[in-house]
Amino acid sequence: MKTNASNYRNVNENPCNMCMPMGGILPFKGIENSMVIIHGSQGCSTYMRRHIAEHFNEPIDIASSSLNEKGTIYGGEKNLKQGLDNLIRAYNPRIIGVLTTCLSETIGEDIDWIASDYLKERGMGDFPLITVPTPGYGGSHSEGYWLAVKKIIEKMGQKTPGHSGINVIVPNISPADIREIKRILNLMQVRFTLCPDFSDTLDRPFSRPYKKVPDGGTTLAEISEMPGAAATIQLGVTADDCISPGKYLETEFGVPLYNIPIPMGIGSTDLFIEVLKIIAGSAIPESLEQERGRLLDCMIDSHKYNFQGKSVIYGDPEQVYAVAKTCMENGVFPVVAASGSKAPRLMGLLKDIFKDHPGECTILNGTDFSTIRQESARMGANIAIGHSDGRYLTEREGIPLVRLGFPIHDRVGGQRLLSVGYTGTAMFLDRITNTLLEKKYKNYRSSVYQKFYQGAEPDSQCCMEGKGEAI
Amino acid sequence: MSLNEKNLNAMLDQYPAKVKRNRKKHIVIKDSSLAMQEIEANTRTIPGIITNRGCAFAGCKGVVLGPLKDVVHVVHGPIGCAYYSWLTRRNKAKSDDPEKNFLTYCVSTDMQESDIVFGGEKKLVRTIDEVVEIFKPSAITVSATCPVGLIGDDIQSVAREAGKRHGINVMAFSCEGYKGVSQSAGHHIANNGLMEWVIGQGDLEEPPGKYAINILGEYNIGGDGWEVERVLKDIGYTILTVMTGNGSYEELKNAHVSQLNLVQCHRSINYIAEMLEKKYGTPWLKVNFIGIRSTIESLRNMALYFGDPDLLARTEEVIARELARVEPVIEQYKKICFGKTAFSFVGGSRGHHYQGLYEELGIETVLAGYEFAHRDDYEGREVIPQIKTDADSKNIPELHVTPDEKRYRLKISEKRMAELQERIPLSNYKGIITDMKDGSIIVDDLNHFETEEFIKLLKPDIFSSGIKDKYVVQKMGIPSKQLHNYDYSGPYAGFNGAVNFARDISMCFASPTWNFIDPPWRNTPLLEGTIEEGEA
Repeated sequence: MKTNASNYRNVNENPCNMCMPMGGILPFKGIENSMVIIHGSQGCSTYMRRHIAEHFNEPIDIASSSLNEKGTIYGGEKNLKQGLDNLIRAYNPRIIGVLTTCLSETIGEDIDWIASDYLKERGMGDFPLITVPTPGYGGSHSEGYWLAVKKIIEKMGQKTPGHSGINVIVPNISPADIREIKRILNLMQVRFTLCPDFSDTLDRPFSRPYKKVPDGGTTLAEISEMPGAAATIQLGVTADDCISPGKYLETEFGVPLYNIPIPMGIGSTDLFIEVLKIIAGSAIPESLEQERGRLLDCMIDSHKYNFQGKSVIYGDPEQVYAVAKTCMENGVFPVVAASGSKAPRLMGLLKDIFKDHPGECTILNGTDFSTIRQESARMGANIAIGHSDGRYLTEREGIPLVRLGFPIHDRVGGQRLLSVGYTGTAMFLDRITNTLLEKKYKNYRSSVYQKFYQGAEPDSQCCMEGKGEAI
Repeated sequence: MSLNEKNLNAMLDQYPAKVKRNRKKHIVIKDSSLAMQEIEANTRTIPGIITNRGCAFAGCKGVVLGPLKDVVHVVHGPIGCAYYSWLTRRNKAKSDDPEKNFLTYCVSTDMQESDIVFGGEKKLVRTIDEVVEIFKPSAITVSATCPVGLIGDDIQSVAREAGKRHGINVMAFSCEGYKGVSQSAGHHIANNGLMEWVIGQGDLEEPPGKYAINILGEYNIGGDGWEVERVLKDIGYTILTVMTGNGSYEELKNAHVSQLNLVQCHRSINYIAEMLEKKYGTPWLKVNFIGIRSTIESLRNMALYFGDPDLLARTEEVIARELARVEPVIEQYKKICFGKTAFSFVGGSRGHHYQGLYEELGIETVLAGYEFAHRDDYEGREVIPQIKTDADSKNIPELHVTPDEKRYRLKISEKRMAELQERIPLSNYKGIITDMKDGSIIVDDLNHFETEEFIKLLKPDIFSSGIKDKYVVQKMGIPSKQLHNYDYSGPYAGFNGAVNFARDISMCFASPTWNFIDPPWRNTPLLEGTIEEGEA
């Protein structure tokens, strides 16, 4: 197993990750009646709104304190307070996230103080104004995401009497994935609080009249009771302890933490169901067993194609891990597994699951696409799995891309991609298998010609035989 | 319903008093009986209002510098800004030498916390060295993000030293996001740099062909520039360079030999146009290649400037040929579009440019405005002497140029210049307001609240803006056309572009989806039946 700990170069050529406040926005979009203001220059808010809107095809309203040169000299307190005033007037939110940026952190803004002073001045008591320090240089969007979830729970969670509900904390997965996880929880008859729940807010149905703040999201009442839950299931095995919301609930309130991977692939979904069974003691319904059986059927049927896949997997650490496990289960053995974020935990976890790897896989930590591309070509990858910026792997190296994760900008439907649970995994596997098949059908005539008429060794990427077609 | 002062006031009353006073100055109801209508523009956005404006970095690296294809654009800062400006404007480029097209690359110094604390200059030095080794570009730009100026990295001297070391032009742009009030500040910074370090560096003393022109403020979004070039080359113009869509550093160096400079986007490039006139004596012509009528008018104005009968004749020939080709195609779309109304709120020029094209299709623009324009883009350039410079604009350095001793040449006599100025927009732009109908609304820096309110009041049939407000409007049941990136369509410029636009807009109206919004059970029952007496 070859591990490339980091780039040996200074230049980041074609980044594979975004910045911290980008990740910090998303959890707030999954809280009921919530708004976000970014304390920094306007560009931060505008750029991020643009990127999130293009992925979800939804309105993404994010305010900015519009700091300018004067603010950088005298401080941005006035701007932030005025921004909050206007935001509250127009949106009337029940909770506001205040995220910092490179600018406000570099000039040393004390947003905690500004926030508490603001509430005092306006007589707003304990209105939840949740500050999250997210300087762009402080980490990637993945860390920003976890930190924002943690800060929300830290602020809103109350010491409550123990109850039988369980907490489910999800990483940045698609709204369709969140809906599927909720469906499974309901099938298992579990009482749960899922946080953050952007399944409706970032994939809202068309309905009139238009609402500025969409319906849906985890309610504040639910979040306040999270510390009294019987257990926390956190789909966040790659999150560092210091930003892990589940860890916080465990250490502060003694809520037992089951930190498990995203239920993607048969093994991880089994684990998810088992944990639910242990915590809630509920029986596994027949219909879920059937779904599992169908997934098995899919895995058996498709293996004759899948085993020829050599995958390159990149993106959010949590997703890279889930996808890598799924690929290992199905013989689409990864030849490159990469994260743009610096993710030491992911590196260790990948090494564990790759112990059964029959070949070689390059693991890249804190890397960029130029390195991923080089390694993918060197290792002979024939399928890529990740967000849309990997399209260069297709354009430059001819490696087809199965789009998954965030952001997806060059195709529609990122918000509707279903890839979790038994059913979602089967759908995800079909996307992989069909991509391999498409590549095969595109190439098999020329490869057969090369093989039988030119005596050349066929290209390993197009050597899959046709389905018994007469040649 | 039309808008009057009364319902405008009622709408603005929902704002706090101070905000209302501010925003009211940014909104004008066109009234041609008044001598002039003043609008406030290029002033600070009110914090917390959901604006569409971006930052100086976006205007500099994202808009003006980014499209130069043979230059590697290094973003000095944490990773986000580079990532977010990575091919997000759809400025297309083709290159004769595939090794010299770096447009698809996103290059950043990826500053970490330690770089913020100890300074990022060393990392920038090493990054530039690596970029030279990897890409061997014609030139390198370095664009600063917010923290760079704050921690005091001297990117100007790093760039100068690197330039000497590698023998190529390395240019640093101090376009930190907090400068100015919008991306407009970044345009200005980029304009100054290109004028100071690139334009005029070439060896040409005479234009390489007849009717030599530069096209300024054309960013080749969706291939717009290529369609314009097709027509201009067909007529016989020699295009020296396009600033900056599909533009190249090598061409830009010789931009000084043009006989006329065309200005498409006035806001983002008027600084260079003006400086070229001062330094080399070359006038500029405000053109608009969006819409058939505007394209024809621009072509005729260009021919008139050169005044050559052959050129005039050839211009008419090409116009006639193109019209014969596209008019019948557009005709079918006019039937779908006729009688509809539009909002046209884009950037710093397109809010104006598209109105003519809408009108040709039978669509009336009832509200228009710009995100980041200045008063001259609204009221015309004659207002420039009256514009008070505030603290924010003073922070953007002015580049003062003087006539070039060797190369300054009056391209046309002062008398001819004066004559032409009577007839065509030569070195002049008359702004958006004059072209709008009485009763229509002009809004500067339209925000989300006002977008919703104006839609409720005016109920337009189509809304053209960007992606940030697109989904708000579509969720309100009104089709929305992105005029920043054209919804991945285009080109929309020139003759072929007008056809594309007419088709795309018609399809917005013709989408079958709008018929399905109300489910059948909400209006009339699908099945009808009665319950017989006594059987229920």
